[in-house]
Amino acid sequence: MTVAAGVGYVLIALGPALSLFASVIAKKPFLILTLLSSTLFWLISLIILAGAWRAFLPVKSTELWPYSILILTSVGFQEGIRIGFWRLFKKMEDMLNAFADRVSKPRLFLTDKMLLALAGGLGHGLAHAVFFCLSLLTPAFGPATFYVDKCPSIPFFLISAIIALGFVIIHTFSMVIAFNGYTEGKRKDQIFVPFAHLIAALITLINLVPGGCNIGLPLLCIMAGTTLYYSWQLVWRRLTEHQTTRSSD
Amino acid sequence: MDDGSTDSDPVTAGESSILDTLGEDVIRIVSPVSLCMLLVVLLVSSLSSTNDLSSSVSSLFLSSTTTPTSFSSLNLLLLGSDSTWEEIKSALVTALSFVVVVTLLTFLLVLLFYFRCTNFLRIYMGISSLFVLSFLGGFIFLLLISHFKIPIDPFTFAILLFNLSVVGVFAVFMPKFPISMNQGYLVAIGVLTAYWFTMLPEWTTWALLIAMSLYDLAAVLLPIGPLRLLVELAMSRNEEIPALVYEARPVDPQPGDRVRVWRERTDVRIEATENSTNSANVQTVQETRLAVSEEITAPLIEAFPQTGDRHLGTEEVEDGIGLGSSGAIKLGLGDFIFYSVLVGRAAMYDYMTVYACYLAIMAGLGVTLLLLAVYRKALPALPVSIMLGVVFYLLTRVLLEVFVVQCSSNLLMF
Repeated sequence: MTVAAGVGYVLIALGPALSLFASVIAKKPFLILTLLSSTLFWLISLIILAGAWRAFLPVKSTELWPYSILILTSVGFQEGIRIGFWRLFKKMEDMLNAFADRVSKPRLFLTDKMLLALAGGLGHGLAHAVFFCLSLLTPAFGPATFYVDKCPSIPFFLISAIIALGFVIIHTFSMVIAFNGYTEGKRKDQIFVPFAHLIAALITLINLVPGGCNIGLPLLCIMAGTTLYYSWQLVWRRLTEHQTTRSSD
Repeated sequence: MDDGSTDSDPVTAGESSILDTLGEDVIRIVSPVSLCMLLVVLLVSSLSSTNDLSSSVSSLFLSSTTTPTSFSSLNLLLLGSDSTWEEIKSALVTALSFVVVVTLLTFLLVLLFYFRCTNFLRIYMGISSLFVLSFLGGFIFLLLISHFKIPIDPFTFAILLFNLSVVGVFAVFMPKFPISMNQGYLVAIGVLTAYWFTMLPEWTTWALLIAMSLYDLAAVLLPIGPLRLLVELAMSRNEEIPALVYEARPVDPQPGDRVRVWRERTDVRIEATENSTNSANVQTVQETRLAVSEEITAPLIEAFPQTGDRHLGTEEVEDGIGLGSSGAIKLGLGDFIFYSVLVGRAAMYDYMTVYACYLAIMAGLGVTLLLLAVYRKALPALPVSIMLGVVFYLLTRVLLEVFVVQCSSNLLMF
């Protein structure tokens, strides 16, 4: 539907990500590198999933259960990979601290660690938006638009852009929650992240039902808002705790 | 546990953490490579004809939602209906002949450099950059003008082209030119050459990429490799090679001159001088090792400047990566060109392959930079990235595309 609509869809999906990038991440070169590597990480996990599922595709049935197995395995795999990502992150943190000692600079602050988690999460969200939404947007720059059978009220590109927006927020902030949860060892945070991811992915299953996207999209946005709120509370709590421990010296 | 009470709030303490400046060098080389790739992708996608025979993700996606796609038609679409054995054979022959020609020319270059015909080489470089900027640039501008129907008269076009080409030649070869113009024109030359290469047929492009990366590996690492001979010659004489190399220096002016001088890595006398790392007063040909001052901006590759070998490639087809005289990373223009050719060819299929290949090339570049930090000698920058790029292109085309299309067309995402 012309270049303007195409650019509009891109901005809907990637607007918050771009503003996060420009305001926070672009200022520190190391965060850009973290973003690129976490995007690559997510892409590799997606390729492994695609390889595992290749023999069973394309799924021709319209029933629910093949797709739910697909979603469950994919989300489970990605959450498992997240733990591996956290181990890599710990190793990188140690290397950075050793480097800081060597050039006699202060070690990583708490905000630094959270910024690294944010960059990692944004990388995942960006990879999701790019591969699930942007790479299919090419026809949107042309003269027409497209509607899926199951959702005749909203153009397909708009649906995928809104879903991508929701998932960008979910991926970005659940990485912050997950890293904080693993560092502190709090069960509640650790359980929240896979749970939220799974619920969000299952919400998209509602889109399989005709007319389901009218319910699925708002629910997904609510889920994204919940993740954002939870991460906000967590970071606020962590930072004020940190302040009080520092000021009590 | 928590970080302990030794941490201080950076905002109130006014200190900067290492995260502020770490990785700056890498970003300074990643940005122009990304820019070059972006420009080539934009050129390819806006100028390519729409009746391309190879299917794209969008057409696959549209067909999968309306009719069930069978595996045979999928295979046909993926392989392309015109990939015959003859095409592969011609592609291999073309790639091999190209590699042979490049090898011969590089040996000729080594010979000329050995006989100290540097002026001849510089003039040749200048003429070839002029050729690229004026003829290739003019050709591509004409394509753009006819595609977007830009109203411009021939005289304005001729004057603009002439000006841009001449300034470009000066920017690339005069030593005192502003570094930002030098970098900009190098990227422009890379974009133009890469776009021209993407006009080759598909199999030829892939064969050429793989052949060039193998050649690069051999030419830089083997003892009889021409590029290695060139590097050793230049090192032993402490001269610079006239070449098209992108130097990722910051745009702020440096007190010293941008003289590329060679340094021996092995016999080094440790003389801590007063000089800061930036004053490259390297006219004096002594092998000193400047002490790393208490620079806050410790580069990611903790290379002490003036010690790493720098590898400057040959003529236009530069390969190789090394460390510059001010500690900046140097990447040959040939690497820019071949990365962009890979991404441009991926853009001719669909954007999903573009993103996957871009990430693969960045990963390969990161690995090469790591190896550079470990080994501290001239390394070929092509093999790792091109191989990763080709692998990711194949994986995306064969595996990822079907998966993602299947999920998205049913509005299932995770």
